[in-house]
Parts: sequence; C-alpha cells; structure tokens
Amino acid sequence: MLRTIRLTFLNEFRLLAQDRVGLFMLLLAPIVIIAVAGFSLGNIYGARMGAHTYTVPLIDDDHGAVARAILDALVHEPAVTVAQVANLDLARAIIRGRDRAPLAIVIPAGTTATLAAGRAAEVVLYVDPIKRLEISAIEFRIGDLCRRITAAAQDQARTRLAHGGADLRARLTRISANLDALQTGVADYQRQLTGARARAEKDLQAQIRRQMGATIDALRVQTQAAVEKSIEQARASIATEVSARRGAIAAVTDYLVALQASERDFDRWFAALKAAAGSHAGAIPPPPSFPAPPAQTALAELVKPIDFAIAPPHLPPVGDAASATPAWSIELPPPPSPPALPSPQLRADLEALAPAAMPVIPGTLGWAERTVTGASANVNSFDQYVPGFGITFLLIGMLMGISLGLIDERDWGTLARLRVSGASLAGTLLGKLLARFLVGMLQMIVLLAIGYWLFGVSLGGYPAMLLLPAAAISFAAAAFGLIIACVARTHDSVMPIGAVVAMAMSAIGGCWWPLDFEPSWMRAFAQFLPTTWTMLAFNNLMIRDLPAFSALWPSLATITLGVVFLVVGLFGASRLYD
Amino acid sequence: MLAQFATVQSGASPRPSRSGRLVSVPNGATLLEAIALRKSYGSRLVLDGISLAVNAGEVVGLLGPNGAGKTTTLSLLATLIEPDSGTVRIAGAIPSLRHHALRRRLGFVPQAIALYPSLSGFQNLELFARLHGISKRQARSECMRALEEVGLTERADDRVATLSGGMQRRLNLACGLVHRPDLLLLDEPTVGVDPQSREQILETVRRAAQGGAAVVYSTHYMEEVERICSRALLIDRGKVVAAGTVAELIALGGRQPLMELTFQGAPPPAWCDGLAGITQIAVPGANGNGKIALQLESFALVSPVLERARAAGAQVLEFNVHSPNLSDAFIALTGRALRDLIPDSY
Repeated sequence: MLRTIRLTFLNEFRLLAQDRVGLFMLLLAPIVIIAVAGFSLGNIYGARMGAHTYTVPLIDDDHGAVARAILDALVHEPAVTVAQVANLDLARAIIRGRDRAPLAIVIPAGTTATLAAGRAAEVVLYVDPIKRLEISAIEFRIGDLCRRITAAAQDQARTRLAHGGADLRARLTRISANLDALQTGVADYQRQLTGARARAEKDLQAQIRRQMGATIDALRVQTQAAVEKSIEQARASIATEVSARRGAIAAVTDYLVALQASERDFDRWFAALKAAAGSHAGAIPPPPSFPAPPAQTALAELVKPIDFAIAPPHLPPVGDAASATPAWSIELPPPPSPPALPSPQLRADLEALAPAAMPVIPGTLGWAERTVTGASANVNSFDQYVPGFGITFLLIGMLMGISLGLIDERDWGTLARLRVSGASLAGTLLGKLLARFLVGMLQMIVLLAIGYWLFGVSLGGYPAMLLLPAAAISFAAAAFGLIIACVARTHDSVMPIGAVVAMAMSAIGGCWWPLDFEPSWMRAFAQFLPTTWTMLAFNNLMIRDLPAFSALWPSLATITLGVVFLVVGLFGASRLYD
Repeated sequence: MLAQFATVQSGASPRPSRSGRLVSVPNGATLLEAIALRKSYGSRLVLDGISLAVNAGEVVGLLGPNGAGKTTTLSLLATLIEPDSGTVRIAGAIPSLRHHALRRRLGFVPQAIALYPSLSGFQNLELFARLHGISKRQARSECMRALEEVGLTERADDRVATLSGGMQRRLNLACGLVHRPDLLLLDEPTVGVDPQSREQILETVRRAAQGGAAVVYSTHYMEEVERICSRALLIDRGKVVAAGTVAELIALGGRQPLMELTFQGAPPPAWCDGLAGITQIAVPGANGNGKIALQLESFALVSPVLERARAAGAQVLEFNVHSPNLSDAFIALTGRALRDLIPDSY
C-alpha cells in the first residue's frame, strides 16, 4: 500500500510536469483571472492600479484653492488618473474615446470664492451613463473628496476664527489691563492732587502766617506806641481826676468815721431801750444792722495817692503772636474728580466679546472607517481575489488532476494495469489525492506569493498561518475531485458537471464576492461548503488581520467537510473503479 | 468438447510460497486454471461457463469475434473483475483483488494502449516495474531489456504520445513484460498496428512463452493464433465453442482446401473429369471470365489439377489455394464470421 501510494504520488508529479494545460490551469490561468478581476474591480476597492486607473478629465475654471485641493487629492487617488483639459469638448472626447474614462469633472469659476464667502458651491460631473458602475465608484471618491475639502475649509475657517478670537481676547486683555492701569493712574493722580492740595493749604497757611506775623509786628509796634501814649494820657487824666476826687473821699471818710461813732451810740441806745422795755423787750424787733464800714486801711487806700505807674503793655513778638493766634485752617476746595471710568460695564462688554461666546461654524458630519479588528480599512482587491480565485482554480485543478485523471486512467486502461500490477485502488487513490493535495498546497502558496509580489496582497500578521487554510482547502478540494470523478463518470461530463459545481461552490462560498452580497438562504447553504470556511480563514488572516487562531476553526470546518467528501468519494470510487 | 479440452491440461500446479510469491514454475506446469466462469452485466450474460487451463511456456489463444467475451474473460483472469460464478486459480491459488503479491506475477496487456501518453516509454515501464515490486536499480535494467525486446530502445525517452500506433502497442506489451511475469494476459495486442510492429509483438510473445511464461493471447485474428498459439479456444457469445490445438480446431470445421483458378478465356469443357477428390463449386460466369473454384480433398491434388489443365490446353493465368483455417472452422461451428473486418495486412 505504501509503495503504491509513493509510486502513484511520484507519478502524479511526473504527469503534471508534462501536462502543460494542467500547469497552465494551475498557475497561469488563475493569475490571469486574478489580474483581470483585480484590475477590473480594484478601483471599487481602492487598490493601487498603476496604469490601469480610471482616466478623469478635469476642467479647472476656478484656478483657486478649491481647484488645487481637488486636483491634489485626485492626483493622490490611486484609482484615478487626472487628465487636465482646457474645455468641455476635450473632456467629452476623452470620455467617448477611452474605455476607462467614465466622467469628467468641471470646477466652475468662482468656486473657491463662493465657498470662501460661505455659500454652497458645486463641482459639475459630466458622466457617460453607460459606465454607471465606474461612475458610482468615482462619485463615491469625489463625494468623499468634496466632503474632505469642505471639512478642511471649515477647519481652516475655524482655525482662523480661533486665531482671531485668541487675538481679540489678547487685545481685550490688553485693553482691560490698560483700563486697570488707567484706573490706577487716576487713583494715583487723585491721591497726588489731594496731597498737593494739603501741601498747598499748609504752605498757604504758613505764608499767611508769616505775612500776618509781619503785619502783627508792625501793628504791635504801632499799638505799643499808641497804648503807651494812651497810658500816659490816661495817667495824666486819672491823676487829674483823682486829685479832684480825693477831697470828696476825705469827706466820705470823715462821714464814715462819724457814722461809726453814731453806730456805737445807737447800740448803746438800743441796749438801753431793751432794758427799758423789760418784759417786752422780746417784742422789740431787732434793729437793722448797719453795714460794716470799710476798714480804715481800705479807706486809707482811697485817699492814698494814685500811683499811675502803669507799665506799658507788653506786646508779644510776632511769633508769639502768631502762635497765639487762634487755630485756623485754610481749606482749599478739593480738586475736581476725573470722570468715573465705566469699568464694570466695560469689562462686561469685553467679556461679551470673548470668542467662546461668539457663534461657531457648525462642523461637517462625515464618516471615518475603522475596522472592527483594527486592520486597515483600505482593502486591496487582490486580498479578496488572490485567495478567492486561487480556491476556484484549486477546485478546477482538482477536477483536472483527480476527476479527469481518474477517468482518463480508467479509459486508457492504466488504472486496470495499475491494479493488475498489484497497486490497490485505495493506494492508487490515496497516492493521487496526496499528490494533488500537495500540488494544491503549492498552487496556493505560489499564488499567494505572486499575489504578494505582484499585487501587494496582505499576508496578515501570521503569513505562515496561511498554510493552514491552504492545506485544508487543498484536502477538501482533492476529496471533491474524487466525488466528481464518481458523479461525472465520463471524461466529457467532468468539466461541465465539475466546473459548474466548483464555480458554484466558489461563488456561493464567497470566493468571488463577499458572502454578505448573497441572500440569507444562500449564506445558510454556504455553511456546508469548504470554500466558505476557507475564505473566512483567509479573510481573517489577510484582510481582518486577526490573530493566528482565527484561522483555526474555519480550517477545521473545512477539513471536516473534506473528510465527509473523502468518505463519500472513496465509497463511490470503490463502487465505480474497483 | 469441453471435456476433451479438460483432458488436455496436464502437469502439476505450482504452489505459492508462504509470502504469496510464486516459486519457480517448471515448463508444462499448469499456471492458470479457470473453471466454469460466468459473468453477467445486468441481464446480459457475457460469459457462460468459460473454462480453460494454461501451462507454463504455453501460448493459449482466445479467438472470437468482437463481443464474444474475450476481454471479459481476460479481465476475470487478471482479477480485475470477479466472476458471478466459477473459479480462477493462478498457480493453484485463488487470486483476489487484495492478493497483491500474486497479482504482481501477472502481466496484463490490455486491448487499449494503457500507457501514460505524457510520459516517456521508459517512465511508463519504470512505473509498472516498480509497482510490481522491482527495485529502482533493477527496474532500470529491466526497462531497458523490455524496450530492447520490443525494439524501442532508441525511443525510450520519447513521450508516448509522440510514438506511432505500432510503437505504442509494442510499448504496451513491454509494460506487461517488464517484470518478467509468470502469467501473461494479452488482449488483442496487435489491433491496428503495422505489419512490422505486429511481427515484433508476436515474436516478443513467443519469446516470453519460450522463457517459461504462460500466455493467454486474445485476438480475433486467427492468423496470429495459428502462428503463435499451441492451443486455442474459439469463443462465441460467452461460450467456448471449441478448444484444442490449431489443427484440431481447423479439423473441427470440416472444411477442405479450396483452389481458385483463373483461365485465359473459358476453360475447356470437362478438362478435369476423371480427377478423384475434386469438386467444382463455382463455374465460369456468363461475362466470360475464366475463374473457377475447386474443393480439394487434400493439398496433394493441387499439382494434378494444374497438370490436367495444361494437358487440356487451358492457359492458367493465376491460381490460389486456400487452406481451411480457424475462421472456416469458426464459421462452420457458429455460422458467423470471425471478423467483421479483415485488415489489409492480412
């Protein structure tokens, strides 16, 4: 058995090496189809297409920043090659004349100014209606481009506004600071005015005092002299008067002495009266008392010569006079107050001018793609088509290698000869399956390598892990080839039956387009196809950039289906070929 | 007849070794026995009690028209299919589909050119040699020997698809011989080949038998049977209608030699009267051709007939003697022609 497997295995490689058609179908055909599909539909995915991009004629009547932005963005758009033309006629000629020119872009004059003025502007697209799919793809990009340009313009306006606001705020801050400084200056000035006023009052007081002192001194001298003169005159007058009245006073003094003697005589009389009244003495009222006569000394004084040695009044010096002057103050009128600054109101007004309170430009509502897995959202179409068509041609390769190979060997008679040679059918089949499994693996590896080098497909973070789904689908496809060999039975019916089944499995399994394009019943059916699980594994690793284990379960599902295929295929082959 | 055939087989059966490989087989030993083989495909009975025995060093022919059951018989003998009933013994053992060691002693040359057309002759030979258990080193020398036997040494490395039909047939034969089989089963190995290749094939088969192989040679060319087969079975509609040596089979047909003569003008009347053992079965036609046919009791009458014609003054332009053959025997036994088409080479 092992010998049969080994020899059949090696013989398969010999046969394949001589089979140019088989090799073509294994390698060149899938590359051609992958390239065709990838380059045809790559623009829709946004792949880098090199020379195979859409040509988009562009007429720039604006010559402004918007036109430059559109042109710059389109130049960097991998799916588009811009052909700048002078007028619409040339653009029409390009669209009519080239297959890959679905539309022309006209940027009308004044677009930049219109946008800058805050009004809506439009870019006009002249489309070729029969190229609707390409138009949609380009329009999608231009729509996104317009959104980005508008957003960028708004961002710039917002930035300018923010800068203006900041500048305004700085100016307001400076004004506020200047106001504060002005207010402080006014207060200082007021304080200085008050001090100056006080000093002026003091100086004025001193000056007045000095002038008053001098005046007082002069007045004092004059007054002194006048007083002394008056005193002398008074003294003389008094002396004259006193001399006149001294005789009168002597008479009075004599009268008083006589009076005093009379009083004493009265007292004695009264005492005699009372003694004479006896018991009625009590009824006699006391006599009125006589005022006591001035003392003799005092009376002597009256008669004493008047000494008019009146000292002239002594007038204090000016200083003393000034100091003796009662306190008085000179109050100058207060300086006029500066007009009050309207600071609180002004500050409130300034606050009201703050940018935060200013109306803002509404932002643009756009979208941003983020893959749920963290991988790049920009998918290379070949990431889908290299494994997808690789699987398709793997299945077709199995049809040729196993289904046709087995039927051919039966028809040639080599199968019978192998069996007569002692090679068991099981060993022969296993050798074939093993060889084709390995060929399938190599085919997938080569296609992925070519996809990597030629089309830039992503191998994900775990390139080695791609071998697992490749091995799984190679195994399942080999078993599938065995089933087709049992179902088709004849050489001529292998390709019609097998190719239909293989292509249906590929299409339904998501090899040609994403599985979500399909209706739910078809997706439910797809769960029973190895292609579905294999594409899931490849997509997980290559597009979603998921960890290595993400390919494990899909690959196990593929292998499980492959085992089912193998059991069915071996059972059928044992009945048909044994 | 079957009973008679059964008595033909002789010699002791070789015994398989414990490992299943055959021990050496002496010439004359019965290597293949088939007893009362029956096979049907659906309701169609293809073989109806075929029995045969083949000894080592012997070539036994299976002769019959297309559809007689020759290929089915060989497929049963090669153990590719199993009979509905009956037994096949190879070297005394009943082979089965899984008796690989025994099957490796078989050399099978199918009617179709069972070769990989994209491989070279050498590669085809090497593959089958290796499958028969020959080591890689030995396989090389055996392949070269087989190529030499069929005269294809110079084309050893050419792809089969580039070889002529005759060369492919020879290579087809070589693939059945490359491992020096004890039992060689050939299913119409000369169909559609040129005379040169036919000779080469027949010579190769003969050498194989001389080398000790038991050969079963299926064909509808009775001439090939007559040339290389020591015994033959005439098969028709799945049955053996006759078996024995070629001479025995021809004799079973009961036919006599036929002599055709073409005269210049009409032959003289009663020119052969008096010759015993001659029966005129065709007379000159009304259109004046001078061709007549005589049935002879033996070849010995050819010369007397010619002498009598010359004596009668007749001018013989041409004469042919047709000896009775297996085809005649087959027609006699079945009422059907052996071949639908006779190739130009015969």
